[in-house]
Formats: sequence, C-alpha cells, structure tokens
Amino acid sequence: MDGPKGSRVIVEPAGDTPLVWITVTALGGAAADPPGKEGMMRHMAELARRGTRERDRNAIEDAVDRLGASLDVGAQRDSVSFSATVLGRHVDELITLLADILAGAAMREQEHEKLLRETRNSLDDVRDDDSLLATRYFDRSCVPGHPYGRTARGTETSLTALDVEEIRDAFRAQCAPQNLIIGFGGDIDSDRGLALAERLVAGLPAAPAPPLPDIEPPPAPKKRRIYVVDKPERTQTQITLGHLGPRYGTDDAVALTAVETAFGGTFTSRLMQEIRVRRGWSYGASCRLYRARGPHWFRISLAPAAEVTADALELTLSLYEDLAAEGLREDELAFAKSYLEGSIPFVLATPRQRLSVAVSNQIFGLPGDYIHIEAEKLAKLDLDQTHAALSRWAAPDRACIVLVATADSMVPRLEARGFGPIEVVPYDAY
Amino acid sequence: MPLAEAQLATERRVHYTQRMGFALEVARPFGRDKEVKRYRLDSGLGLILLVDPAAPIVTYQTWFRVGSRHEMPGKTGIAHLFEHLMFNQTSSLSPGEFDVLIERTGGDNNAATWVDWTFYRDTVPSRDLELAVRLESDRMQNLMLEREQLESEREVVIHERMLRVEDDLDGFLDEKLMKLAYQVHPYHWPTIGWMEDIRDLSLSDIHAFYRTYYAPNNATIVIVGDVDEAETLGLVERYYGAISPSEIPPELGQEEPDQTAERRASFQKPIPAPRLFYGYKAPPQGHADWAAMDFIAELLAGSPSSRLYRRLVVEKELATSVDSGVLPFRDPGLFRLEINLVRGISAQQVEQELEAAIDRLKSGDVPDSELEKVKSGIETDFWSQLEHCDGKAEALGHYETTLGDFRALFEMADRLHAVTAADIARVAKSYLVPDKRTVVMVEPSGEAAP
Repeated sequence: MDGPKGSRVIVEPAGDTPLVWITVTALGGAAADPPGKEGMMRHMAELARRGTRERDRNAIEDAVDRLGASLDVGAQRDSVSFSATVLGRHVDELITLLADILAGAAMREQEHEKLLRETRNSLDDVRDDDSLLATRYFDRSCVPGHPYGRTARGTETSLTALDVEEIRDAFRAQCAPQNLIIGFGGDIDSDRGLALAERLVAGLPAAPAPPLPDIEPPPAPKKRRIYVVDKPERTQTQITLGHLGPRYGTDDAVALTAVETAFGGTFTSRLMQEIRVRRGWSYGASCRLYRARGPHWFRISLAPAAEVTADALELTLSLYEDLAAEGLREDELAFAKSYLEGSIPFVLATPRQRLSVAVSNQIFGLPGDYIHIEAEKLAKLDLDQTHAALSRWAAPDRACIVLVATADSMVPRLEARGFGPIEVVPYDAY
Repeated sequence: MPLAEAQLATERRVHYTQRMGFALEVARPFGRDKEVKRYRLDSGLGLILLVDPAAPIVTYQTWFRVGSRHEMPGKTGIAHLFEHLMFNQTSSLSPGEFDVLIERTGGDNNAATWVDWTFYRDTVPSRDLELAVRLESDRMQNLMLEREQLESEREVVIHERMLRVEDDLDGFLDEKLMKLAYQVHPYHWPTIGWMEDIRDLSLSDIHAFYRTYYAPNNATIVIVGDVDEAETLGLVERYYGAISPSEIPPELGQEEPDQTAERRASFQKPIPAPRLFYGYKAPPQGHADWAAMDFIAELLAGSPSSRLYRRLVVEKELATSVDSGVLPFRDPGLFRLEINLVRGISAQQVEQELEAAIDRLKSGDVPDSELEKVKSGIETDFWSQLEHCDGKAEALGHYETTLGDFRALFEMADRLHAVTAADIARVAKSYLVPDKRTVVMVEPSGEAAP
C-alpha cells in the first residue's frame, strides 16, 4: 500500500509469536556499484549502521542488543536492505533506532577505514570456502560486464577506490522515501505498520527516487569457456557451469522454472538421479534459475571427487545437451507442475516468508500476487512452451564452466577428455 | 477456554484416545493459544502433536533414539550411512518412489543424524498427511537393503565427507577437536564416521543396525501443522499399531574420564589466515549448569555487542569472526569457541584476550543491564526457532529424544531467564579452566598467497 512520502508499505500480520520482522529495502543494489568501485553499496549499508550523529557504532549495537533484536544489513543484486527481528514490545524503540540510521548515518572516516580493513580480511574467509569461491569466479566470468557479475563484496582493488563522500551522497539518494519499501510481518497490524513507517521516514527529505541502474547485460560470449580456480590440496571439485537466463517474471522464466524443477531442482530431478543416486559421484547436483530484476544466471552446480571430475563434467554436459535438444518429457513436466503448485503453501507459511515474497515482487517490478499469476501460467504450461524457452536460453555449448580444484592434477585430466582451452586462475587473485 | 472446561475436554480425549490404543501422557500450553501433547501407543511409540493452523501444511518427523554414540570402533558412520539407505526401496515401494511421492505433493523430505539421535522429516500439504504416515510406517518395518544401493550410498557418503571434512576447514577442525577432547566416549568419532570405516561397513552390519534400533519403542513421531487431532491419531494408530517393539540393547556406558590437562594440536593447510577452535568440557544438556554455560556463550560471542566479538573483531581487529556455543548433548559436551584470525595474528594474542574475558566472568562482573540484554536476545532466539512448523517440531523432537521430555524445551527457556551473575561466575570457575580445555588450530602452510 502507499506509504508516507511516497514510500511503499507492506504489512503481513500474524500473531503466532511475539516477534515482528521489519525490512527497509532501497531499490538499486549492488548492480548500482560504479564500475571499478565494486562493493560500494554493501560498504554503504554496513557503514550506515556504524554510527549516526547521535550514536557511535558501539551505542547502536548496544541499543539493538538491549532490545534482544537482530539487525542485518546487506546489498543484494537489486536492493540494499536493513532487516530486523524484534520482540513486539520493543518495536517502537527499534524503529527509533532505524529512523536515526536512515536519516542520520554519520559515515565517519575512521569507521570507513576500519570497515575497509574488515572487508579485506573477510575476503580470506571467502577464499577458505570452495563453494563461495566457485560462485565468485563464475559471476565474474559468465557474462563479463554484466552488472550482476560484479562482486557485491568488492575486491582488494575496488575497495581501495571507495570514497566516503561519494558513499554519503549515495546513501542520501538511496534513502529517498520514494525509493523505499518498508515491510512489517508478525505481531503487528496494518494501522500500526503505517504509523511506524511514518516515524521511520519522518527525518528523510522528500526527494525523487534515484534512477534504477541499467541491468541490461552485454552480449554473452559465443563459445564455451573453462576456468580452473587453482587451490592446493583439493580432494573434490566444486563445479559451477551456466549462462544467462531469462528475466524473472517473463513467460520464458515460467517455462524454465518447470525445467529447473525437473532437471535439477528436486531430489528426484534428472541431475540428482544420474549424478548422485545412480553413480554416487557427488553429494548434490542441482540447477537454478536466478531471480532478479534483469536477466540473471541459469546455473548448474555439483561437487564430485577429483578423480571422477572429468567423468562428472562430461556426463553433466551430456545431460544438459540432451535437455537442450530434446526438452522435458511429458511425465517430467507433469511432475514439475504438481511439485510447484503444491509447494506454494510452503513459500507462504509464515509472515516473514510472506513479507519476503511481497518485497521481492516489488523489487522485481512484479504484481503483489505474482506467485499466483505464475502458478496459473505454470498450470497451463505445455511441452512446446518449455521446448521453445529452452531453445532460446539453454546453451551448453556457450556455458561458462568454473572448477575449483588443484590445477596440477586437474588440468591434465580435463585435457585428456578433450576439454579446452582451460584458463587457470589462482584462487586468491580476485 | 476456562480451565475446568479444558480439563473436561482433555479427559474426554484421554478416554477417546485410550479406545484407539493411544494414551495421552502429557499436555502443555504452547504459545498464546495452542497445546502440545504427547501420546503413546502400547508398542512404546511416542507421538508428540501440536495442531498449528497457521498454514495448510504439516511437518511429520520421526525421531529415533540412535546416533553415532551407539556405534562401535571400526563401525563408525553406520548411523549416518543407514539414514541415507532409509530413502531406498521397501517391500512395497521401488527405489526412489518415496521421494517421488513426497515431491509430487510439493513437499520435501530430509533427515539428519547426530551423536544422540537420528530424525527423518517430511513436510507436506496438510491434505497429504496420510501419505507421510504411510511412507514412514512402511520404512520403519519394511525397508529392503540391497548391496547395489549400499555401494551407491557409500559413494555418496564418501563424497559428503570430502565436502564437509576433507575440503572444509571448519569441518576439519571440528573433527580434530572432538577426537582430541574425547578419548573414551563415542563423541570421540565424527557422526559421518572415519573414512576407512565408511568403506568397510558391510550389508550385514546394516541389516543388524536396522533390526536393532528401528522399532516403535525406540522412536517418537512429532507432528506439527494444520491437522485434525482425532484424525491424526487414527491414522498413526492404523499404520503403526501392528508394528512390534524390539529389544533395544543397553548402551555400553563409556564414560569419559575427567580431563586433567590441556590438550593441543596444530595443523597446517594452504590457507591465508589461522583458525582456532577451543573446546572446554561442559555439562550435559540436562544438567542444571547447562543453561548458564549457554548464557555465557551468548554473552561472549552471541551478538555484535558481545564481549569477545567487540574485543577481538571490533576494537583490536585480531579476528574476522568469533562464534561460541555449548553442545546440546545427552552426555557432557563441549563449550566451544571458534575464532577466525586476521592474517599475521598469532594464537597467543587472541588467547590473552580470551583469558581476560573468562577471568572477568569468574569475578562475577556481569552488570544487570548486560544480563537483561542477553536474556532479551535469548527470548528472541527462542521464538525465532519456533517460527515455522519444521522448527517447532525439531525443537520438540530434540528435547524429547535427548532429555526424555519435550517440556525440557520450555524449562530451558525458564532456566535461561533465571541465570544470575553468581551462576555465571560459579560455572565459569567450574568449567572454563585451562585443564579442561582442548585447542586445535590450523595455520597457513605457506602455499597460500602472503
């Protein structure tokens, strides 16, 4: 519903527990990071909670914790968000604090420098996690230049380029009420939600929302590319392969949602059955169509042992090529439709989940009841439509393939099976 | 409903359920307007039921009182490997049919094994409750165990171990910590098992494990969701009523001797920065001191303003993260601290800070405002875990299986709320001492970038 000063307000009431979930979402997100300044939106959001004109970082954290609340900030592809969980009896105090952060974030130089050091150190934690590493390198390499390919966390180099004045300006622009979606879920009703939203934006000057970042991807590479992210002593290989997919909310995305389910979205899907159940080659094997405001990835992931990596990659590509050429079977489509129709109550089971879905729809520019519109489209989906969508999007021959593995042993194995050319990149180079 | 009326209603239900073969053992309020109940069949099968109409879904969990603590050296990992095999065929279902039937409803299923328990979860639309009851009762009694599936699942588990231990720094350290901290008790070995044992487990081992532990008198079903109580009781009675109990062997009672000196181990890996895990011998979850230990974990590292987080991460910039917790085990567990250091920082620098923080706890220096702050956080966490029907069922199932009574969930909340500074000082002096400590550390081997 319409909120104060042009903001949008969503309330999902349910008095099941004494908790209230609050989200304040600013549209834009990491896709708005200027090229060369990757990590800026994430840095901006985190810096905002590290001090206002009234409170320093410790005072804010003390105040949040005194309420027994949690306050998470983050930059996603299309939005920056402040999310809180708080006991209903403390919601007023938390709103006071959030309002102070939105209107009075100080973004002191000292905290800026400190946060830069923390973020740089956190890159080491990413490097310790093979799955995160695979994602980070895949994002960079899949469609070079795509705003969704930029790292939201930043790089050693891009973090150095961040300027605190520029960040302050960006935060003021992001916090224009017309750019905000304010959400409440749980032990709260609509009237109270609206009243709290008034207080939340009271200190913000009325200003137009900044333009949304351009998220049109550049042309995708025309051929397959293989990267081995070289990390010592790997006993297994994190494999991520994929390419660009359709924008969420389009008919092609609806069709590929059914494909995703049947091919790699459930335990009984083709990938899981062939890779895990029949051969025991990987604990998991899955595919996913990423939901975003613009075209995002269609991605397959698995983690086979080093010695069967070449076999597993060969089989995965073969399965994907079959899918691209032949499409789904009738029984697979029927199964996917049944699963997706039945799964809706699970996505909407709690007020927090309903709030999350409603906010996502706003971010993606979709109607509030899109989940039901999508369900109606899925119910009518036929094999021809899924084949047509696959023919437009499935591109195993142009996939970007990233393997986190020990290159000395992995590259010869892959080359022996005819995979190449292979580019080796050090795991700590990005 | 007025109390007298509620009592009458309960009496009627007792009468009704006794006719059906169930006995109502316990009923307790849950939240603002719900009630959680425990029933029992003659076979010994427990049933915990919480009718929750919040959404048209139901979670159906089967908790078995068997985990890696029931394994023997040389047979480690059998409880977990067996859990994987429970998704194969039965005398009436072909391989994979179980998953197809559940997923076709839009639901999903999974399972987990830990030291004290194994549980299986099906979350389905409420209209498909009978399917879950039928499938779970079927595999409790009619599972078919074939060599081909054992070999396939063995490979999957080997890959899972690579994923979670060999190539995962936290998993690696976790395994080393438990192995060093426990020398006699089965908590010594990892729930996933040693790699050589996973490779050696035989089909006859698996058959024996199934016959021994998968019986109604070793299980509790937990149902939470939008279901009708009488209909649910009827379904469970119909599908489980004929399953006979089995004789569950007594545990070997391998008590861990008191730890009298600090234990340390250090390893090298190609990583950029060191990582440290500490484990102090702690009381079992059923012990009166456990709540105070849990409270200390929150106070030290449970939130951005917690003592160690602020000192190590914010003020001194010695670490990138600090986590703490006390293991919720039936036998004495560990109070754990897990610290990711910043490059170039030594363990000694962190340990000085840790010792100072623990000394402060022992001195009783915990202001009322800090006590209240931690209590508020604990209250939020308590309700957060109960947000979804899966979380409600997991909490009830854990306490019922680990401590013998789901009501311990609520008693624990009360205990946490009653913790005082004196309690904290007392348990810190008792448990957070160097002689009861085990420390494992991974340092950069030099292969990573400087």
